[in-house]
Amino acid sequence: MLSMKNISKVFKTDLVETHALRDFNLEVKEGEFVAVTGPSGSGKTTFLNIAGLLEGFTHGDYFLDGVNISNLSDNKSATIRNEKIGFIFQGFNLIPDLNLAENVEVPLRYRGFNSAERKRRVQHALEQVGLAARMKHLPSQLSGGQQQRVAIARALAGEPRFLLADEPTGNLDSMMARQVMELLEEINRAGTTIIMVTHDAELARRAQRNIQIVDGQVCDFTMYQHGAVADKPHLVAGDKRAVEPSSVEAEEATS
Amino acid sequence: MLQIKPILSTLMRNKSGPILLLIQIILSVAIVANASFIISERIALMDRDSGTAEEEVFNFRLYSFDSSIELESQLQRDIRTIRDLPGVMDASATSMVPLSGGGWSSGYTVGNTEETAKDTESAAVYYGDEHMLNTLGVDLIEGRNFYEEEVLTGSPDLATHGIVSKAFAKASWGDEPAIGQIMYAGDFGDKPIQIIGVVDKLQGAWVNSSYLDNSVILNINLVNVFTKVLVRAEVGTLAQLKEAIPAALHKDNRNRVIEGFTLISEHRKRVYRNHELMATVLSMMVVLLLLITSLGLAGMVMFNIERRTKQIGTRRALGAKKRDIISFFLVENYIICLVGGVIGGLVAVQLGQQLMSVYSLPKLEPIYPIMTIMGLLLLTTVAVILPARKAAKISPAIATRSV
Repeated sequence: MLSMKNISKVFKTDLVETHALRDFNLEVKEGEFVAVTGPSGSGKTTFLNIAGLLEGFTHGDYFLDGVNISNLSDNKSATIRNEKIGFIFQGFNLIPDLNLAENVEVPLRYRGFNSAERKRRVQHALEQVGLAARMKHLPSQLSGGQQQRVAIARALAGEPRFLLADEPTGNLDSMMARQVMELLEEINRAGTTIIMVTHDAELARRAQRNIQIVDGQVCDFTMYQHGAVADKPHLVAGDKRAVEPSSVEAEEATS
Repeated sequence: MLQIKPILSTLMRNKSGPILLLIQIILSVAIVANASFIISERIALMDRDSGTAEEEVFNFRLYSFDSSIELESQLQRDIRTIRDLPGVMDASATSMVPLSGGGWSSGYTVGNTEETAKDTESAAVYYGDEHMLNTLGVDLIEGRNFYEEEVLTGSPDLATHGIVSKAFAKASWGDEPAIGQIMYAGDFGDKPIQIIGVVDKLQGAWVNSSYLDNSVILNINLVNVFTKVLVRAEVGTLAQLKEAIPAALHKDNRNRVIEGFTLISEHRKRVYRNHELMATVLSMMVVLLLLITSLGLAGMVMFNIERRTKQIGTRRALGAKKRDIISFFLVENYIICLVGGVIGGLVAVQLGQQLMSVYSLPKLEPIYPIMTIMGLLLLTTVAVILPARKAAKISPAIATRSV
């Protein structure tokens, strides 16, 4: 589904070169729910941007759904984003001047769907998140959790192959966060691959797989399957540090 | 792709900026449409053909204060002398000069019986000899020129033959042939004047009159102490003839004042100066208004780009191509421009009617508001496209930034 091999991303200014990602390797299989964690400045957002074709990378190979992403034109990238990827942003990123239905409709318009098809998909997506009755409301008339559910509906409306969620619960209280997480799990169970960037260790543990990025590299690689911690974590491609398995288990035990 | 419905939703929920821009566009269209109409009216007035060879024909004034001068023979000698000068193509004494702003005019009576008699429109009255047509450079399209023996010397009431402009012939006799028609000059005698020729075009002296194209040339050599002389000469010889003509005429008799050498093209510039000034001022106003409107449009777009940076990034992340972002801003401003244009067009018509009643201007033609709106759409494209292209370059990665 998603394959990154030796991806590097270097930001250059006149004085400084910053390596946001270096020799970054990751394979995500179809239907997986992967949580990406890491400290601030570790490269999580850069990884998310590259994975979502929001920005390019300096070196390496990236295949998404079998398509080589290197050197894609801007238009082609936009098409792939529109057709294959659903985005959920920390700040919801709803357009304040459009009502819920119009917000959910935005990517569908870029897809070129006719009015009837757009209407059907908007209705279905808002029903999935339980907000079909409020489709004429403006985002400002909703709570944070409801706004994020609208953003999820917008991401789902195009029936993408995978969802990229950037701190989807970062601006929500714990109850709202739990609701949103449950929704994401339900979407994943329905077959959509999800990659979620989060600071929240508890949320990360609910994902099937948990990777940690430190200094632009994948540091830890732990499988959570059927509630069990997998084998001893191991380094991936040039890693310098590993997280002790005991600390992961300890965190899980407290959750 | 067009997204008119969501763009309308956006506009309806953020009314202040668009309404201010709308008012600016309404006023611009109303003023620009009327100003353009007045400019084009003025230009059309200035472009009217006098029918003469304006760059070749000039006139001068000849004052003979010496009472011992026998005016008739002196004038004949003078005209012959001028015709013989190098560069001169022809010359003739005249009562008036086209486009000069001063001269003679009269109405006539036409009709064969008292019952059918009617007054004509006014016409400029030129007195001249058989050289007059060639001197003016007008085209004779029907009939003939005066014969030399037909030309009479003396006062206006002696006239027996006339050559008229096509416009005067049409106004006086409609579709009937003008050649052979008889007319009477009420103010200048009751002798019948027979029409023997029609010239295609000959304007009078007063560019603001309603009968500028009505002209009559009568077969009279007007003899007076003050005489106007028309000379047709090769282009570019005026400066040389300004010296040569007085020198030649003074050789015959020094007791004359000769002055006022002016090409008809120079008369044209002078008499149309106010029209030209009006057209220039209004043109500057139109340019200024369009510039202000385009700055308003560009400013509004730039403000919106600043305000919507994150939104643009989000749209790009959700699959908008660069052209979608550009078309978003174009369509948004086309909508404002069209709504403002249509209202402005209606205001323009209303304003035109007021100007028509107060200043006796012609009725505003609908093409002017329509062309103004189309011009404004073009202006909108130019004003919006550059900032919109800048907006299209906003990275979709903006969507994931927290600020």
